[in-house]
Amino acid sequence: MDPFTLEPIGALSGHDDRVWNVAWSPQGDMLASCSGDKTVRIWSRRQPRPSEQWYCSAILDQCHTRTIRSVAWSPTGRALATASFDATVAVWELSSGVWEQVAELEGHENEVKCVAWNPDGRLIATCGRDRSVWIWESMPGREFECVDVKQGHSQDVKAVTWHPSGELLVSAGYDDTIKLWTYDGDEWGCAQTLGGTGTGHESTVWDVCWDPVSRARLASCSDDLTLRLWESRAAPTSTPASAPAGAAAAGFVPSRPDLRCAVTLSGHHRRTVFSLDWAPTGLIATGDGDDSILAEEEASGLLTQPGGQWGCWARVAKAHGADVNCVRWNPAEPRLLASCSDDGLIRLWWLR
Amino acid sequence: MDELINPNPVVHERRATQRHNKPVHKQTSGSSLGSGDREPIDALEIFEHIRDINDPEHPYTLEQLNVVSEDMIDVDDARGRVSVQFTPTVAHCSMATLIGLSLRVKLWRSLPPRFKVDIKLSPGSHSSEAAVNKQLSDKERVAAALENPNLLAMVNKCLAGPAGAGAGASVAP
Repeated sequence: MDPFTLEPIGALSGHDDRVWNVAWSPQGDMLASCSGDKTVRIWSRRQPRPSEQWYCSAILDQCHTRTIRSVAWSPTGRALATASFDATVAVWELSSGVWEQVAELEGHENEVKCVAWNPDGRLIATCGRDRSVWIWESMPGREFECVDVKQGHSQDVKAVTWHPSGELLVSAGYDDTIKLWTYDGDEWGCAQTLGGTGTGHESTVWDVCWDPVSRARLASCSDDLTLRLWESRAAPTSTPASAPAGAAAAGFVPSRPDLRCAVTLSGHHRRTVFSLDWAPTGLIATGDGDDSILAEEEASGLLTQPGGQWGCWARVAKAHGADVNCVRWNPAEPRLLASCSDDGLIRLWWLR
Repeated sequence: MDELINPNPVVHERRATQRHNKPVHKQTSGSSLGSGDREPIDALEIFEHIRDINDPEHPYTLEQLNVVSEDMIDVDDARGRVSVQFTPTVAHCSMATLIGLSLRVKLWRSLPPRFKVDIKLSPGSHSSEAAVNKQLSDKERVAAALENPNLLAMVNKCLAGPAGAGAGASVAP
């Protein structure tokens, strides 16, 4: 029996097409979702707490002309950025209860596949099919200016994410690699590439996420059916199960990354792993093309497994009626998970 | 007019298929699962869905050009898995992605959503086999391609039915 269970606590319907991506607001009180139906929906929690009833409080439409692939909240939770196959990125702000589009970021040649706000909200990173990563700076008057375009990937870039320090940007994609970008005071440069024959993923990397506790380990998931965990070369090679979570942080400097693949988790997924999210509880949730949601964790004090083995501790087969495209833990309720799927639904899960 | 990639394809006759297995199938499913159950989907049924797709280049169907055949289809009905391998008429065929896309769209429109469909080139049949297979299995690229009106029109032309196939034979060079 699994030591943990993901209990279904709700399904949110409304989108007319597959739901590609979900994002919790930083306060955890709102969830944004985006879809092939060219809309973004904002879901809010019914009051009073501790209700877990969520309802659609806003629909953002009439902006993008094609699929909206990715949605990201600004760190304040007052703005949203959306990336679309129509080659544009839109920025939205909530003013007196109404979401308004306040900026449009144009520059990508074609489909934009991911958007991410940096931790201080000053920069936005985007990536797409044109193989590039763009960095945009917020200017006075709600303008955004492209400050850098990085061409390191040889194929489609699927995902971008910032290190919590803001000093490091990660991109990953169809060329099976993960690239780490740092700022030298003038421009962003590729500090390290994770991958290449025999040293990394063997197919498209779909999603990447930092360990929110140590902030020193990166997790990635791929079409090669594996999860990989990357940590500093300076970190101790085998972390004892009793060691504090911060042990992995030893030697990691975000501005000078030196990651290596420390763990490869295979055998848990039967089809492409599209999404992962690492909770402060230590659990990594994953969603895959086999309609499943899994939760993986390094054996800790809770689970006495020798040698700090990683394992799959909860599995929901048929979590959705089709591919699971995205899984995200709520930042305020670390046991609340949202998932979305090609079946057009968003589901909420409670970890027990 | 562009030059044809394969100016002289070998054309095969449309085969008469018979459901030899069908009565047997019915009996087994009837006895083990009860009469109220639906009939399992098999390779022949998948073949029926895709045999009359038009080749993007020639006025023949994929069956007539031996691009698809029943024995290159695998179905696991219980697990909801369908795998189709196809063989372009020439190994450098630049239409391979379009053919694969047409197969994917046809099966997506024909099958219940519980089926996971994998479309691949038959091993050794194409000079860029790995690249084409990777593209066809990337759902995001497929979704983006199908939002491209020109590409969708080409796919729909392939799926428009065998109307052009019989009549087109006389127009063929």
